[in-house]
Amino acid sequence: MRTPLILLLTTAIACALPAVLESGYFINVAIIALIYVILASSLDIMMGWTGKFSFAHAAFFGIGAYTAAMMQRSFGTDLWAHLPAGMAAAALFGVLLGLPSLRLQGHFLAIMSIAFQTVVYLVLAQWTDLTGGHYGLPVEVSPELGNVSTFYFVTLGCTLVACLFVWFLTQSRFGDTLTAIRDDETLARTIGMDTNVIKIVAFAISSALAGGAGVLMAHHIRGVTPNDYTVMTSATIVAMVVLGGRGKFWGPIVGALILTILPEVLSDLAEYKHIMYGALLIFMIMVMPQGVVGALTGRKAK
Amino acid sequence: MRSIVSLSAMAVAISVSVFAGSSFAQDKPVKLGVMLPLSGPAALAGTSILEGIQFAAEENNAKGGVLGQQVELVIEDDEGNATKGVTAVRKLIEQEGVAAISGTYVSGVALAATKVAREFKVPMISAGSTSSDVTDYNEAGDPWFFRAFPGSREQARQSAVDMVKKLDATKVAVLHENSVYGKSLSDSLAANLAEVGGAIILTETYNPDERDFFSVLTKVRAAQPDAVYIAGLMDAGAQIIKQSAELGVETQIMGSGSMMSDKLIELAGPASEGFAVSSMFEPSTPNEFGAAFTERFRAKFNKEPDVYSALGYDSMNVLIEAVRRAGVADGAAIQAALKGMDDVPLVQGPQGTVADFDEQGSVPFKIGLAIVRNGKREWLPFD
Amino acid sequence: MVSDLVLLPQFLTNGLVIGSGYVLVAVGLTLIFGILHIVNFAHGEFYMLGGFAAVLGSQLLGLPALPTLLVVAVVMAAFGLVVERVVFRPLGGKDPTNAIIASFGLSVLLQNLMLKTVGAEPMAVKSGFAPGAIQIGNVFITAERIAIVAAMAVIVAALLLVLRYTWTGRALRSLSENPTVALISGVNVRRVSLITFVIGSVLAGLSGALMSTVFMVQPNSGALIVMKAFIIVVVAGMGSIEGAIIVGLALGLIESLVAGYMGNELRDIVGFLIVILVLAVRPQGLFGLKTERS
Repeated sequence: MRTPLILLLTTAIACALPAVLESGYFINVAIIALIYVILASSLDIMMGWTGKFSFAHAAFFGIGAYTAAMMQRSFGTDLWAHLPAGMAAAALFGVLLGLPSLRLQGHFLAIMSIAFQTVVYLVLAQWTDLTGGHYGLPVEVSPELGNVSTFYFVTLGCTLVACLFVWFLTQSRFGDTLTAIRDDETLARTIGMDTNVIKIVAFAISSALAGGAGVLMAHHIRGVTPNDYTVMTSATIVAMVVLGGRGKFWGPIVGALILTILPEVLSDLAEYKHIMYGALLIFMIMVMPQGVVGALTGRKAK
Repeated sequence: MRSIVSLSAMAVAISVSVFAGSSFAQDKPVKLGVMLPLSGPAALAGTSILEGIQFAAEENNAKGGVLGQQVELVIEDDEGNATKGVTAVRKLIEQEGVAAISGTYVSGVALAATKVAREFKVPMISAGSTSSDVTDYNEAGDPWFFRAFPGSREQARQSAVDMVKKLDATKVAVLHENSVYGKSLSDSLAANLAEVGGAIILTETYNPDERDFFSVLTKVRAAQPDAVYIAGLMDAGAQIIKQSAELGVETQIMGSGSMMSDKLIELAGPASEGFAVSSMFEPSTPNEFGAAFTERFRAKFNKEPDVYSALGYDSMNVLIEAVRRAGVADGAAIQAALKGMDDVPLVQGPQGTVADFDEQGSVPFKIGLAIVRNGKREWLPFD
Repeated sequence: MVSDLVLLPQFLTNGLVIGSGYVLVAVGLTLIFGILHIVNFAHGEFYMLGGFAAVLGSQLLGLPALPTLLVVAVVMAAFGLVVERVVFRPLGGKDPTNAIIASFGLSVLLQNLMLKTVGAEPMAVKSGFAPGAIQIGNVFITAERIAIVAAMAVIVAALLLVLRYTWTGRALRSLSENPTVALISGVNVRRVSLITFVIGSVLAGLSGALMSTVFMVQPNSGALIVMKAFIIVVVAGMGSIEGAIIVGLALGLIESLVAGYMGNELRDIVGFLIVILVLAVRPQGLFGLKTERS
């Protein structure tokens, strides 16, 4: 139970950030980093714990965001209504992707998820009447959340809940069944686990959290545009999980923080930002394929 | 909150010192923000626009800068993506303390950014974003997002007139890029064409990175339009023109403003003969201010300026002039100054075009029509 | 809506050309992804680099078409060799997802490196053919487009011959069927893997060079086509070259017909829907024999 305590402690420290960070720019970066923490942690339920690769996480992220924008357009609702709705919608689509993916492994799952991601992106970009096309849809934030510091606390709260949820989920019996599937799916099935149901549930949970992150993002950016939810975004989330360390609670969290903050630090070298990003990714995967957290804990174990 | 307070405190301090007649902070340059897509799919336009923006800043600096200081450009890459755009605009305002921003190119990103900038009372001036929706978002009479050239609605209205009056085409096929730029032009063209006695007989969409147009052009050929209107960017435009000729589509083709480029003629080759482009700027412009800009641009870069370098130049030049008139590098003062720029010349548009922003923050000047003849664009006379 | 059957021959011709281009890109990927099981997202950038190598040969060095293709082949062989040695071999044998991430990094790196060095503007590759349309009945085509179809036929035929009748080819096929058995029977898996990777990148480069004569080349040229190539390899069934030919041509035809009779904006979505459907119903692909085991 040490991890949740450290998590609470970290959150408490994070609460002080807006006071320390004078500039809303830093708070803005912090909000985006937190949203990506939710995304990476939730993707790790699939990637790290269940051993199922997915390049479609940004699709669920986008489905959550667009659910918020479309609900507000039709019903004038606010963040608190959008969060559960966005999560439900994303979970639904998660099941939709999960069902045909049940039999798939490794590379095929990667291709399947890329195809799904691309279809979602093209629909968001092209079905103009529904989604506003490339121009997207505006989202208005209720006045009490309008301040960037307030929104930071909301996001921080959501992130804490999401991370605690992921922690307890992975430590629970359900988490054990996930690792059983990861380690040997055939064996898991032989000893009587209904692996299909478990995988679908894991898919739904992982997608729902991504949908929640999307709702937060839509409110933070105050609008949705399809270019935020591309296969590149998905690949970035995957990179976060791998960089931080798969199947380690702190792995995706650390990975998300590094990959959202690093480009900002590098922005003086903005011209070479992407070149360095690409090179770093190759370098990291070759030097520490188990991720930063994996490498650190691995050394400690020795 | 604290940063807003400190920012406004700073602004007050600065304005006080100005009104007191003292020269403040001698060594501190005037910081102006630039946000553009410098990587990602829109990098082609972004880098070209940046060239014009930097040229305007250099020229102004060579003439002694503004408010007795040099202009320092703080450049942020928004990657054509709204999340990056919001981060970039906050960084420019809260971290770098810029007083005004020239940016950006992608309309959806411009809208997201201007929502933030307005909260901080920092005016933005478009560096290429064309969609009228962004200026429509302004409160009439109190715009915070300016555009020193006509928006998509105005561009399409004039194109519809040119199509019927100058090109004598009433049955029009439209190919538009699946983007805000392409879609907004296409929609407005459809609405305006009917008023001048024309009609759209075929509308087709293409994705920005599409390079094969044979199938869609086969349909165009069968529909037998009087003219084809392309609303999109230069690279796809060159392909459409070249492939039209290869497919035997012998129809007048007209392109939207972004296709005003020598590169397009080079890429499309002989097929570009007779291609018409609605043009906000030409190196051979009758606009004296623009012609002088062309001279200087050529001398500096050893190449012809295109529509992007011209609008980038106007964007930054107008902004610096607004700072000069505001007398202080403060967002609200600059915004107020921008509302009265009707004597500041633009390099774009016909002779005598000035940055006379309307209620919504747009400058609806007269757009020209250029036709490619013997591998060179010739600007038809304004009527 | 134009739904005239008179246009059908033109649509089919368009589809054949586009499909041939897909086949060219996909056969290289079949070797790398289908046989070596390396998910190389940078394959599209290999294609793009081939296009720029052709610009180097035809524009800067002023070479005619065939020597230009030779330049492309040499450049891409060297490049493939380095990438296999430096990136993919050290990652081989471990978790395959590592290679996916590395190739994604490589894709970002190469695209932006080219953006910085040559800029975003498209460049044309000179083919040496006379420009303009060739009209056959009601169908229009260009010499360059015919060349793509012809080159596809020649390259694919050559590849099939190599696979069938050379030692490397047989080793490669045994590798694709069962790596362990191949190893036991004395196949130098490392060497064959290297050669396969090099051939795959040369094919990607050649297809980029050929396609650039028609579609020009830009740093982001490979982004969409690599996705199409992955679709083709998966739908065909991993490692099935004959399958990739059929599926590649079919995808080109389907896209052309969808663009012609349904709406151009739908053409890119079709392939992705097909791959989802195929994976859901027949995960081994249309022409794949065995199911992938994890």
